[in-house]
Amino acid sequence: MVPGYQRRPESADCGTTIPAWREPSVVSMIQVREVTKRYGAKTVVDHLSFTAKPGQVTGFLGPNGAGKSTTMRMIVGLDAPTSGDVLVNGKPYASSKAPLREIGALLEAKAAHPGRTAVSHLLALARTHGISRSRVDEVLGLVGLSDVAHKRVGAFSLGMGQRLGIAATLLGDPAVVMLDEPVNGLDPEGVLWVRNLLTGLAAEGRTVMLSSHLMSEVSLIADHLVIIGRGKLLADTTVADFVTAEGVRVVTPAPDALRTTIAGPGVTVTSTGAEELLVAGTSARKIGLAAAARGIPLFELTPQNASLEEAFMDLTRHAVEYEASR
Amino acid sequence: MNITPGGVAAAEWTKFSSLRSTWITTAISVFLLVAFGMIASASFSGDGMTSIDLALSGTSLAALSVGVLGALLGASEYTTGMIRATLAAVPRRLPVLWSKSLVAGSAAFVTMTAGAFAAFAAGSAVLNDKVTGLGLGDDGVLRALLGAGLYLGLVAVLGVALGVLVRSSAGAIAILAGLLLIVPGLAALLPDSISEAITPYLPSNAGSAVMALTQADGTLAPWAGLAVFAGYVVVTLAAAAYRLKKTDA
Ligand SMILES: Nc1ncnc2c1ncn2[C@@H]1O[C@H](COP(=O)(O)OP(=O)(O)O)[C@@H](O)[C@H]1O
Ligand SMILES: [Mg+2]
Repeated sequence: MVPGYQRRPESADCGTTIPAWREPSVVSMIQVREVTKRYGAKTVVDHLSFTAKPGQVTGFLGPNGAGKSTTMRMIVGLDAPTSGDVLVNGKPYASSKAPLREIGALLEAKAAHPGRTAVSHLLALARTHGISRSRVDEVLGLVGLSDVAHKRVGAFSLGMGQRLGIAATLLGDPAVVMLDEPVNGLDPEGVLWVRNLLTGLAAEGRTVMLSSHLMSEVSLIADHLVIIGRGKLLADTTVADFVTAEGVRVVTPAPDALRTTIAGPGVTVTSTGAEELLVAGTSARKIGLAAAARGIPLFELTPQNASLEEAFMDLTRHAVEYEASR
Repeated sequence: MNITPGGVAAAEWTKFSSLRSTWITTAISVFLLVAFGMIASASFSGDGMTSIDLALSGTSLAALSVGVLGALLGASEYTTGMIRATLAAVPRRLPVLWSKSLVAGSAAFVTMTAGAFAAFAAGSAVLNDKVTGLGLGDDGVLRALLGAGLYLGLVAVLGVALGVLVRSSAGAIAILAGLLLIVPGLAALLPDSISEAITPYLPSNAGSAVMALTQADGTLAPWAGLAVFAGYVVVTLAAAAYRLKKTDA
């Protein structure tokens, strides 16, 4: 049922012997269950539930301040939920024997001491788990930082800092990769690289989750969308389902006749002008055939696929306005 | 490839040793210890101070220096954002504090013990003619030198604990300096009866007792004094552990 995630072969450069880190029956995924987070009187995450599944890229979307980063901090146990709980690969994160093997998380750019070199930074994280020095070099190579491995992190650009953060997430060859706004500060080439990396990780059967406040950043790679506004779940859907909701625009000199012709269960017709209708719940093809059968002329028959961006804006507009008006 | 206490300690050693500031601060601490020991040993010509007292006269400045090193090690996790990466790797959290304390404490103990012996050797070499020289074999000398290393090691741990507790470099350093330097001065302002009762138990006074060749009036016995100082460190560590474990990172 669950696509098997093939662990990296235990090659010699992995150094240590790796015990069975996950029973095959345990699914690699993130389960957020009825989580609420309050800071003082302010509810930042509000009874939020969703699951990020293996083999998929889950896009975690919401306007700035929606509670995405807070949710992600709770997933790796940095912040404790006020109520509700989070399971990573079927258990609370803190109970794991090898946390870096469960989930690699990029939380904020430059969660690193500026005085350390890239190598020392990664080595410090790797040593907690007995991960070898050669794996550190390997992930530096994967993110394209080999040349600056011995440069101090304080001299890194925003994009290099992001790459270093992504290198850290890969250290433990984790079953789940979770990135908070990963393309912030990356150049177009870097954005493309992150996309390919994440789709590749998901194709290997891993669970991939990334957050963004821009639909355009996730729509190309996400299979699954979790959209929140003001801490509440607004949509938990697939990219395909999210776009096809708008309906069909019809222009005809006989709108009333067409209305009666196509009326039926589930079909809604809205008048948008003297000769214009917006029809939802049926297809352009059916409308065209019905009109032809009755001899009703049509001047225009256009499926309205609101862009993902528009749909996202519509969905979250209220949440944004509420934030802005305070 | 599991998380282990040894692994977390090795990670903390990597963090500690990979910062240039660690080496600079450590070198400064040793320098202060030796330089002040030599200057005091060469220039003091009165009585009331032994050659050990003179050789170790740099300890209060060295204490500030190693304490700052510990405080920066603890607080910089928060000021740089590194704490998120650290705790995501070690979600049980407390091993990070124990390992940081162990690393900072042992490093300070080793370097400061060496510094104390160097200060004693150098101080003896330039000792003022009016002061009686002492050898390593004399009563209390080894204890005082080793005690100086232990005291300074504990000060480094106190710094780590304060850094993790207050999460700010400036805050931790201010509290450290206050505890070690200002509190004794404030206590002297209290009425004599109260002042005399509490003065021996103040952190720096209690800790320094281990470095005195003979126990003076109004001071604690050497090991008792060090134990009292260790008590302060344990209490601060417990507070740091509580905050680390219970609050959002
Ligand atoms: N530690 C905190 N204390 C108080 N408020 C916080 C804290 N962290 C986040 N918030 C608030 O929670 C809201 C959600 O923030 P965040 O999770 O960063 O949103 P997003 O990542 O979706 O932009 C914001 O209004 C922010 O100000
Ligand atoms: Mg955010």
